[in-house]
Amino acid sequence: MRVSSTPSSQWTALFVLVSTLCTLFTPAVSVKYENFKTCDQAGFCKRNRAYADTAAATSSWKAPYALTSDSLSWKSGQLQGTILKTINTNGETVRLPITISFLESGSARVTIDEEKRQKGDIELRHNSIARKERYNEVEDWTIVGGLGLSKNAAESREAEKTTVTYGPEGKFEAVVTFAPFSIDFKRDHATQIKFNDRGLLNMEHWRPKIEKTVPEKKEGEEETPAPEVPSGEDESTWWDEPFGGSTDSKPKGPESVSLDITFPGYDHVFGIPEHAGPLSLRETRGGTGAHTDPYRLYNADVFEYIMDSPMTLYGAIPFMQAHRKDSTVGVFWMNAAETWIDIIKQKEPHNPLSLGIGSATDTKTHWFSESGLIDVFVFLGPTPKDVTKAYGELTGYTQLPQEFSIAYHQCRWNYNSDEDVKDVDRKMSKHQIPYDVIWLDIEYTDDKQYFTWDPLTFPNPIGMLEQLDKSDRKLVAIIDPHIKNKEGYQVSKELKEKDLAVHNKDGNIYEGWCWPGSSYWVDCFNPEAIKWWVGLFKYNVFKSLPNLFIWNDMNEPSVFNGPETTMPKDNLHHGNWEHRDVHNVNGLTFVNATYQAMLERKKGELRRPFVLTRSYYAGSQRMGAMWTGDNQANWDHIAAAFPMIINNGIAGFPFAGADVGGFFGNPEKDLLARWYQAGAFYPFFRGHAHIDTRRREPYLVGEPYMGIITQALRLRYALLPAWYTAFHEASVDGTPILRPHYFMYPSDEAGFAIDDQFFVGSTGLLAKPVVTEGATSVDIYIPDNELYYDYFDFTKYEGQGHKTVPAPLEKIPLLMQGGHIIPRKDRPRRSSGLMKWDPYTLVIVIGKDGTASGELYVDDGESYDYESGAYIRRDFEYREGVLESRNLGTKGKLTDKYVKTMKDVVVERVVVVGAPKAWEGKSSVKAAGKDAALEFHAEEGGKAAWVVVRRPQVAIGEDWKIEF
Amino acid sequence: MGRIEALVLLSTFTTSILAAGSTRPRGVGPEFAKFYKSSDSFACISNPSITLSPSQINDDYCDCPDGSDEPGTSACTYISTLSPPQPLTGSSAQNSTVALPGFYCKNKGHLPSYIPHMYVNDGACDYELCCDGSDEWEGVGGTKCEDKCKEIGKEWRRLDEIRQKSARAALKKKDELVKEAGELRAGVEKSIANLEVEIKTQEAKAAELQKVYEDVERRERGKVVKSPGKGSKVTILAGLAKTRVEELRNALTGGVKRAVQSWENYAANKDTDADESAEDRDIESISKPDSESEGINWAEWETSDEESDVEALYKIEEYLPESLRTWVHQKITDLRIMLIENGILADNANSGSESKAVTDARNSYNTANDDVGNKKSSLGDLQGDLTKDYGADDIFRALKNTCVSKDSGEYEYELCWMDKTTQKSKKGGGNTGMGNFVRFDKLYVDEEVGADGKGLGQGERFVLMYENGQGCWNGPNRQTTVVLACAEKDEIWKVQEQEKCMYRMDVGSPTVCEREIKVEKANKDEL
Repeated sequence: MRVSSTPSSQWTALFVLVSTLCTLFTPAVSVKYENFKTCDQAGFCKRNRAYADTAAATSSWKAPYALTSDSLSWKSGQLQGTILKTINTNGETVRLPITISFLESGSARVTIDEEKRQKGDIELRHNSIARKERYNEVEDWTIVGGLGLSKNAAESREAEKTTVTYGPEGKFEAVVTFAPFSIDFKRDHATQIKFNDRGLLNMEHWRPKIEKTVPEKKEGEEETPAPEVPSGEDESTWWDEPFGGSTDSKPKGPESVSLDITFPGYDHVFGIPEHAGPLSLRETRGGTGAHTDPYRLYNADVFEYIMDSPMTLYGAIPFMQAHRKDSTVGVFWMNAAETWIDIIKQKEPHNPLSLGIGSATDTKTHWFSESGLIDVFVFLGPTPKDVTKAYGELTGYTQLPQEFSIAYHQCRWNYNSDEDVKDVDRKMSKHQIPYDVIWLDIEYTDDKQYFTWDPLTFPNPIGMLEQLDKSDRKLVAIIDPHIKNKEGYQVSKELKEKDLAVHNKDGNIYEGWCWPGSSYWVDCFNPEAIKWWVGLFKYNVFKSLPNLFIWNDMNEPSVFNGPETTMPKDNLHHGNWEHRDVHNVNGLTFVNATYQAMLERKKGELRRPFVLTRSYYAGSQRMGAMWTGDNQANWDHIAAAFPMIINNGIAGFPFAGADVGGFFGNPEKDLLARWYQAGAFYPFFRGHAHIDTRRREPYLVGEPYMGIITQALRLRYALLPAWYTAFHEASVDGTPILRPHYFMYPSDEAGFAIDDQFFVGSTGLLAKPVVTEGATSVDIYIPDNELYYDYFDFTKYEGQGHKTVPAPLEKIPLLMQGGHIIPRKDRPRRSSGLMKWDPYTLVIVIGKDGTASGELYVDDGESYDYESGAYIRRDFEYREGVLESRNLGTKGKLTDKYVKTMKDVVVERVVVVGAPKAWEGKSSVKAAGKDAALEFHAEEGGKAAWVVVRRPQVAIGEDWKIEF
Repeated sequence: MGRIEALVLLSTFTTSILAAGSTRPRGVGPEFAKFYKSSDSFACISNPSITLSPSQINDDYCDCPDGSDEPGTSACTYISTLSPPQPLTGSSAQNSTVALPGFYCKNKGHLPSYIPHMYVNDGACDYELCCDGSDEWEGVGGTKCEDKCKEIGKEWRRLDEIRQKSARAALKKKDELVKEAGELRAGVEKSIANLEVEIKTQEAKAAELQKVYEDVERRERGKVVKSPGKGSKVTILAGLAKTRVEELRNALTGGVKRAVQSWENYAANKDTDADESAEDRDIESISKPDSESEGINWAEWETSDEESDVEALYKIEEYLPESLRTWVHQKITDLRIMLIENGILADNANSGSESKAVTDARNSYNTANDDVGNKKSSLGDLQGDLTKDYGADDIFRALKNTCVSKDSGEYEYELCWMDKTTQKSKKGGGNTGMGNFVRFDKLYVDEEVGADGKGLGQGERFVLMYENGQGCWNGPNRQTTVVLACAEKDEIWKVQEQEKCMYRMDVGSPTVCEREIKVEKANKDEL
């Protein structure tokens, strides 16, 4: 029998090899649509939909939830009490503590818990060591401020209800009806949002599992008062739940939460990314063209995702805005468990809810999460900006990014060696194509062990980083949360020894499969894990230089052999919270750890981190950028990108982009060129490609495509001052960077659903990059009666409505709206860092009223010195022949020093588009008291008159006037 | 070599530099000095109708649509077909082709050079092109680029000397290779001539032996078999042979054949070999049912005729499809031996059915005939080799059957001239065939040349295409484009996987060195 040992070990090796290959390549060979649950396959989704159906089918449906008025207390902006849920026909109830907080910002928050679970007065099945409470720590990850309670809110109680007035000038009201429990949120006495209007509030209370030896009736009974339903409930989805070959042990039993939220009179809802579909969300039940499943939020590594689908993707922001003419309101459903949202839009012939305002359509939404609390924030607007601002006060505004990170990123899976990277770097320079960052996907590591370099292909990472630094370029390297389970891998050893990894349901270290094969997952919910993670990025551990930044991928987390390509829901995180409770916020915690690590890799070297993430949740915007994951090189995907990016932007996470060129597949050259033109308008602008695709660095595509692509890149670079200013604005008040029509023109109903054109920041640039094959022109919708000019040749467009704008392959449809001043830097350089000292061009686009204004924000682009005033923020205004630059900044201790370093950075040129005819013959202007030459170009063939002021040489950081 | 040529070009302007002297504006190369001489006005180089005041030269503002007023700043860099179009430079009637090749770095102590204007005053010292640091004359943001031309120039001269030496050596080496190739060719030609003579001789000899054999055979024929007929030994023999072949066929058409074939399919995958597929066909045709046209026509054997049975026995092969002959021959021999050993058939030598004289005569004839065949085949090979494309001067003939390899981190790559390319993994696993030589080609490349002279440079380069290598998982068969540039030694410089399983090897080799590349000694000291 001894002889058999050799063949058997060979067979084992072969088996391991084969299964490894299968595991590795699964994402590349099969479309995994069927690997993800439909609502019917997710127990709680099915139950809650059935509950909604029962309610709708029952003529006298009465929700079994009542707030007991005697439990109610009001204290400094907060209403607390207990809801009693009647659980059977005997009138037995469970107690659900409720807190309604009225915040200083004008937002309201409704939190409902379950007393029995809260007190730990339950038993878990399977001897589970999981926590008994409903997960109540989402806000530790999500909320960073804005929770201060209102001092002005006032309660006035009646027998059946209580009314709280709050918000700015007391214009908001919350009317809480006791039985059945419901809340109407009003603004100016009109109802905007209704909770439990349809009576779908549902909190699945804890119950023990009754083994079916004796036919049971009463114990398991839930709220199904409908008499036609036979007694005894369908328990089939209550307990252990199988899917795709694994079974969720569900030690806490059914525990979902659900609430219906109605927006009376609102016919558009936006938000709840991430989904591939239009900005204006579609109905999910009934109706022609409606989706059949609810919108799902359960972060997952979805391979080759499909278009126009409510299917879940990599990220989740359960923040929804409803919009009608002149009013925007919103809700933020703060729950990190798997969540589904049903949307129906109902024509209300009598329209009793909207009290004569808005359209006659009500949008009715139904939210359900698998576990956790009901914890909802309500924003009453009235403008879109009010809503995004209020949301940002809670979850934080977007990070003010490293300036390089809003320039162009050149990525590929993979650049194969340090020499390969250096070669691409040289070739980009040689072809005078600007780029700032080159990226390394997983192959740079030694055997997929993060924090190491492959000694054979990347023998000299420092030399590589040094070469990049010569032209102020950066490297981004990927670091994923799965840590290879391998003898002798120090990181893996420490992770195990310090017990910082995610556990399985039995409390042992969880082992799954990902890129490296067998792996563990660092548990970034654990403060000790974060501390340890921070240490791994020190220069002596991860050999690199300060121009290296990080990409966090696969953080949904992606687990190749897990259910729905992720972790089992009964896995346990720090504090023994089940993975089910925290799943959607998991990706955020990982990026958070990396962000902490990148803040100060060396003592005293405090810099803004740049981290790209694939998975995200509400709050991730504070930590970096996201991209839309693994898209495909086709016209459908280029078209899908803008709605997705715009939607992400209005949901508080504007630093977003899609892989330019498409990740999977080889783009045709015209598609690639169009994609660069579109990408030049992605807040996060990165070209990326799958390992099986042909090389497609811009210098490889040949003419005319290389020239077209370079023009698009240089356009982005020229406009970087405007983009950076827009990012600054987003970082202080949450205003999106790509602004959809409803956001800019909330009264213009024709624009509400538009998601293929947008404004860039506050610049007045209106872009509609081509995303269809073979287009030679596009129809741009103009929302107002302002003057618009073609960005490139000053062709005039005027009057509300659709205008046909030429768009041959080399042209990006881009208009300048009258009334704006756009800052630019026209000199092409190798990277944005090398543009730092270049002079500005100011483009004044004179509006109908003869004025124009604009803003510019400048700082060192990398440090936190701006927090001490080391920045320049200017307001430019043109009015009655005078262009004036005024300070908008607040002086700090580093202001003077910074402005001094910038004293030689001047305005080299002012272009005035739509120049008054009277200036014909004028040859000079007074710039800060000195003469500067002016050149007039008359209006010609539909192209506006324009002038250029030569060398005003006024410093960008100083006050000055230019008099025409 | 492109850069060196440019530098050489520059050196010829030495005299005009001295003439123009110090009055040239910043960034102007000597060949453009004449445009900047006037102290009254400046006319844009490509748009002379536009005249500017001399104060507008290098005032950091772009006035000329061709950028010629800003030779020393980056102000005109936006004038480029690579930049977004804008009407700033005025009407389209103007010539907006950039007039200057770049910012001129004098690089005293080294070779002067042009650096792109977009590198001027960007805060980065670009010593590779501008060793004197003059591209950062403005010192933006406190940038200081000290003059490093002395050391860089010295190092360059040192390397250049090596390069020149190497270039000369490379040409010498090439000459040697050409000579060697010529010798090899001559050797082949000589072999052909020899063979042709030998074949003639041998053919004559074979003809003679054939005649001898035929004579002997005729003489002996009468002695062997007197009474052919139905019951003759040969007919019995044929009957037996039929049975045996039937058996064999049954075995072959059953599981054995399948097993054999699957093994052969496997073997064929490893190495498709003509012989094996021929054998395959043999089994196929013998396994086919008998008929007039296919299989074995037993009727021909069972019905006796006038012809000698013995002759018929020897001729059996001739009735078979050619591909079957060897196989059947072998089988019949085996059968015969089996029959003899089992006492069914008497040993030929003892039976006297064929005399030793006949056997010997036949053997001699066959040997001579085989020799002619072999020689003819060798001749064919040699003639084929002689007409085969070995590149200009037949030079790759000298490298045939030699290989070079390169350690490239994860892999070792091997290039065998005119044969195949191979990737050998260091992480275990076998060798991977990256292609077999199919043809020569040309390719336009645009690559760096390192300080050590290694690199393809810019221009059309000679290429060896290797195709149909090992198939890729989920991809095409591997192929390698071997791009050659002149070097002293055969050396693989770089291997890239340009796209999945499509490789490019940049290879240095004296085979592609050209005379005109020879660089005159640059007259750099004066600059």
